[in-house]
Amino acid sequence: MDRVPPIPRQPIATSSGPLDLLRHVAEFWRRRDLLWHMVIRHLRGQYKQSVLGYAWAFLNPLSLMIILSFVFSTILRIAPPQGVPYPLFLFVGLVPWLFFSSALSSGTDSVTNASSLVSKVYFPREVLPTAAVLTKLVDLFFGMIILIMLMAYYGRLPEPTIYWFPLLFGIHMVFTLGLTFPLAALNLYFHDVRFLVGVVLTLWFYLTPILYPIDFVPEKYSIIFELNPNALFINAYRRVILYGEDPEPGRVLIGLAVAVASIVIGYFLFKRMEKGFADSI
Amino acid sequence: MRTASDPPAIEFRNVTKRFYLKDGRTLREFAQAILTRRAWGDEFSALQDVSFQVERGESLGIIGRNGSGKSTALKLIAGVTAPSSGEVYVTGRVSPLIELGAGFHPDLTGRENVHLNGSILGMSDREINEQFDSIVDFAELRDFIDTPVKRYSSGMYMRLGFAVAVHSNPDILLVDEVLSVGDAFFQEKCQQRMREFKQQGVTIVLVSHSAETIMNFCDRALRIDHGRLVADGPARQIVDEYMATVPQHVEAG
Repeated sequence: MDRVPPIPRQPIATSSGPLDLLRHVAEFWRRRDLLWHMVIRHLRGQYKQSVLGYAWAFLNPLSLMIILSFVFSTILRIAPPQGVPYPLFLFVGLVPWLFFSSALSSGTDSVTNASSLVSKVYFPREVLPTAAVLTKLVDLFFGMIILIMLMAYYGRLPEPTIYWFPLLFGIHMVFTLGLTFPLAALNLYFHDVRFLVGVVLTLWFYLTPILYPIDFVPEKYSIIFELNPNALFINAYRRVILYGEDPEPGRVLIGLAVAVASIVIGYFLFKRMEKGFADSI
Repeated sequence: MRTASDPPAIEFRNVTKRFYLKDGRTLREFAQAILTRRAWGDEFSALQDVSFQVERGESLGIIGRNGSGKSTALKLIAGVTAPSSGEVYVTGRVSPLIELGAGFHPDLTGRENVHLNGSILGMSDREINEQFDSIVDFAELRDFIDTPVKRYSSGMYMRLGFAVAVHSNPDILLVDEVLSVGDAFFQEKCQQRMREFKQQGVTIVLVSHSAETIMNFCDRALRIDHGRLVADGPARQIVDEYMATVPQHVEAG
């Protein structure tokens, strides 16, 4: 495909049946060059004019890990099961969480921040939140490097079950993208959304077993954690990286179902709201 | 004239575009609007029941006063916004020359921005690479192409934006008062390029309140007044009629 083929109707979605949705996905796929350029643009722009540049991508999770370990391990004496060192236990949950929360907040702002483009040129707008989410993969990659170094420091090898990680994380990322789509669209109509996302992310952080093992949660509150997809993913990461256990198949399927539902519904809502974007700027 | 295999480049069918006048709507107002099932605030019609067709290869001027709805018409053609009622049909790749360089990232170099902007306009990477030298030469920025564009002057910025847009191989070119980019030499080059497009059969839609620009380029013109299409015909005739409505003392200024 050398050229974007002619569009016989209005390029902006005016209807959104199941067939239209497939058409939009096909159009999105044709414009993958653009997605790639947007990711590069974010990456190049992110740490320009900062002396330490990409070192910040290391320093941020590293400093968090150190201070949280000090507070929750040294002061509050939280001991993870099976003698896993607390910093390791924490970091396996913290790195994917940081991906989730930074992807969600930068994705929410992505369309609003590109308002000068959105009001002038048509391109599939889902490129913007998708690029914002994909950009955060780089931070995840740096986080994983620190994790490997941390494991080496504690003289532990990742368990062989780590091969599950890419699959689990892939599902987690689809879930993240599915949440980002409608939030990015809504943020254009109501700037309240970005603040709401900030508040919700803070609450969500504490309600996800990142700082503490899930076993610490009293029985009567366990429903909150059963309903929290992030808890499901983070527990699975710990199983496959630290404890050498396969993830529970039932839970993987639940995670997958939640992720698929969120991306389909999220994308649908995004496309429904898309035609009003330029008028709301 | 037209057959099924050769649809018009642009077709507006009874297009109406309404905007909400009030800005800064909040969640509370949204909730109220949903509960009371009423529209949010006052509406304003930028275009009302406008219908026209532009055949392929035609060059159309749209003339009218500020706020008459010209730019809204361009946005509808660009596909940036959707009509409130009626239908807009557009066939082919649209390249908008509206505020050039809107897609530039200040921290990226000219080279990186050419790639970014080209792909925003729908060019593939291969197309951009093929056209790259030609784009840089057209913009006359050979020596500055690896400089971040935030160091560019506004003229350089626009030249690069224009250069990318005219190399994006459009079927339909939308031009919104941008022919005043750069110095006289660059302007002449742009006009030359527009004439080439015209010869190649590219459909051009030009929005302007300058009678001269429209007469220079367009075969046909539309006059829009307060959102309504009031005249459609040969460019010279429409422009003459429009000029007759302009009070002389305004024209002198």
